Amino acid sequence: MSKIGLIIKREYISRVSKKSFLLMTILGPILLVGFMVGAFMLGKQDEKELKILLHDDTYIVSKDFKNSKKSTLYHLTVFDTTGSKNLDEAKDFFKSSEDYDLLLYLPETIVETNGGSGNIYYKEAPNTKTRMYLERIVNESIEKLKLKDLNVSRDTYTRLKNKVDLKTIDVVTDNESNVKGRAFVGMAFGISIFMFIFMYGTQVMKGVIEEKSSRIVEVIVSSVKPFELMMGKIVGIMFVGLTQFAVWIILSSILGSLGMSLIGSEMYSASSQADLMGGISAEGISKMTEIQASIIDIIMTVNWPLMIGLFFFYFIGGYLLYGSLMAAIGAAVDNETDSQQFMVPITAPLMFAYVIVLLSLDNPNSPAILWCSQIPFTSPVVMLVRAAMGAEGLWWQIIISMVLLIITFIGTTWLAGKIYRTGILMHGKKITWKELAKWIKYKG
Amino acid sequence: MNESVPVFEARNIVKRYANHTALDDVSISVPAQSIFGLLGPNGAGKTSLIRIINQITAPDSGEVFINGEPLKREHIEVIGYLPEERGLYKKMKIGEQAIYLAQLKGMSKPEAKSELKKWFKKFKIEDWWNKKIEDLSKGMAQKIQFIITIIHKPKLLILDEPFSGFDPINTNLIKNEILELRENGATIILSTHNMESVEEICSHIALINKSKKILGGEVKEVKERFSKNQYKIEFKGNMVSFANAVWGGWEMLEKEELNKDHFLVHVKLNDEVELNNYLKGLLGAVEVLSFNKVTLSMNEIFIKMVNENSSQENSTENE
Repeated sequence: MSKIGLIIKREYISRVSKKSFLLMTILGPILLVGFMVGAFMLGKQDEKELKILLHDDTYIVSKDFKNSKKSTLYHLTVFDTTGSKNLDEAKDFFKSSEDYDLLLYLPETIVETNGGSGNIYYKEAPNTKTRMYLERIVNESIEKLKLKDLNVSRDTYTRLKNKVDLKTIDVVTDNESNVKGRAFVGMAFGISIFMFIFMYGTQVMKGVIEEKSSRIVEVIVSSVKPFELMMGKIVGIMFVGLTQFAVWIILSSILGSLGMSLIGSEMYSASSQADLMGGISAEGISKMTEIQASIIDIIMTVNWPLMIGLFFFYFIGGYLLYGSLMAAIGAAVDNETDSQQFMVPITAPLMFAYVIVLLSLDNPNSPAILWCSQIPFTSPVVMLVRAAMGAEGLWWQIIISMVLLIITFIGTTWLAGKIYRTGILMHGKKITWKELAKWIKYKG
Repeated sequence: MNESVPVFEARNIVKRYANHTALDDVSISVPAQSIFGLLGPNGAGKTSLIRIINQITAPDSGEVFINGEPLKREHIEVIGYLPEERGLYKKMKIGEQAIYLAQLKGMSKPEAKSELKKWFKKFKIEDWWNKKIEDLSKGMAQKIQFIITIIHKPKLLILDEPFSGFDPINTNLIKNEILELRENGATIILSTHNMESVEEICSHIALINKSKKILGGEVKEVKERFSKNQYKIEFKGNMVSFANAVWGGWEMLEKEELNKDHFLVHVKLNDEVELNNYLKGLLGAVEVLSFNKVTLSMNEIFIKMVNENSSQENSTENE
């Protein structure tokens, strides 16, 4: 085995055989999927019956409410039927009584104005579902009243209520696309790359500092070239990252499909249950299936092999770029605390790329994103978002950014090699940027 | 191996860093199967030279030869290097990391393993194989490091302060190992401040000060050269009559008054002065109690040379 092969092997084996690596790699996806399924289950269990006290200054809702269908989940009781009591009294009663969970207050103004607001007083904050339910029944009652006043039949009203849905369709492929949803997938990829570069780049730096401070480095560089040692470490750790990512993809997709089927069946039973809840069902169900449909739509329209391929390319490229710079930092300093002054400027573009990706959800085609997807210091994180939204018509941009990335990481690796070679044997000296520039000029 | 070809030779090596010159026209020749003492004060340039031999850095100018061949990458495998600052992976098992480092020197895994087992047995440390360096004492770790340095049977062994950190018993153990390696054909470059060990085991030396080689050669010859025509004389009598007894051809290096009219002086005769004539002159003037030929220790030569060299430098700098 070649010497660099030996180094790569050592770096790889010593890391993947660590307990913390095994834990992260196997537990990571389990926790992620488990958390999502768990959250869904918990959310379901949160549906408990609530007793709601209604103080209604309009008398419209309370009157209408008596005639409408009852919900099994929400029990409304009208506080004052005589009209002699005010809000403060209602609040006092609600505070002292243990029978009620919420107090719904509707001022007179909500009828006259469009979009007036009422209050929900609580002892324990209600969930969104409860709030939405209450908003809906109040709106329905007011609507009914207004229809009567305006002399419009229910039927006419339903016909008036338009719901137009605009679909975005790629003119080239004729595919219906969910740009936002796909940008979201791209963002997930971009952020994963950001995290991987950061995590494994830091490991490179720590590894170099460890070898430098334990002084074993002098023994090793008397056997191999410093550049080989540096590259061996960078590549070894890269394989650790790729291994982890591969395991995550495989485990997540297995667990994910298990989880999805679990959630799917739960959703089905939930929807049949929802019918009994009265009112909420129809719209709620259609919302759920809409989300499901768009998830399926995203899953179907995102070009996964391309995305995973690009992920590997940009991860490797970005990692080599930043990893080599971090190796240089590790070689220049004596301990981790000293590394801060160099870490901040070097990781700044990476942070910037991260922010750009977060902003991309709202405006996926802004010039900032266009440029950042080309500049090698940000492209590994940003390009994935653009590619996820549709790689067609982007081909030449992807190729340019790839070429630029390759050229740049060759450059940074060369530069890092120069700094590394001098730095690893330099101890007890406070290193400045000027000093680093000098090292680059030294003859091997 | 051809005895006449030096195992290591450096010709006119110059190595400059941004702010200083580490090696200035240094030439050194290390004969086969010698133990070569590379001496010099801290910061003189020894480590720079060692790093050039190990191809960790390259000289700005000058040539380096191993066994008469210009230095090339493959030579790494015939060199064993024990740096002054020792270090091993703290969390890696000793056996594993010894095999790894031996493989980096070009050994195959089985070969490295069997060779290591032999050495561990010899040093009676077989039960350390699965321990980690962080569980060992400093001296124990040094032993491991020594084994790792010599495991691939290097023809040229470079030891930088090999005895530091060892107790006297282990120092002796290592010293004997070095001598045995030499017997078996290895050539050793020993960089050290420990002049006692230089006297004891070195056959040749080079003294580097302020990036220049200021002295070199066989230990015996160097000592002879420095001690030539030097004598210590103890006498009773008047210092003035001693000084006037022989006119010219000698100089007094040191004098010490042991008692009233009782002195111990250290003199150096010029080459043309006949020792017997000088003595005859003295005998008429003072009562000579003892007369001894002086042999300077390496320590004295070291201090004398470095001081002289430094004061010369200072005076030229002041001009």
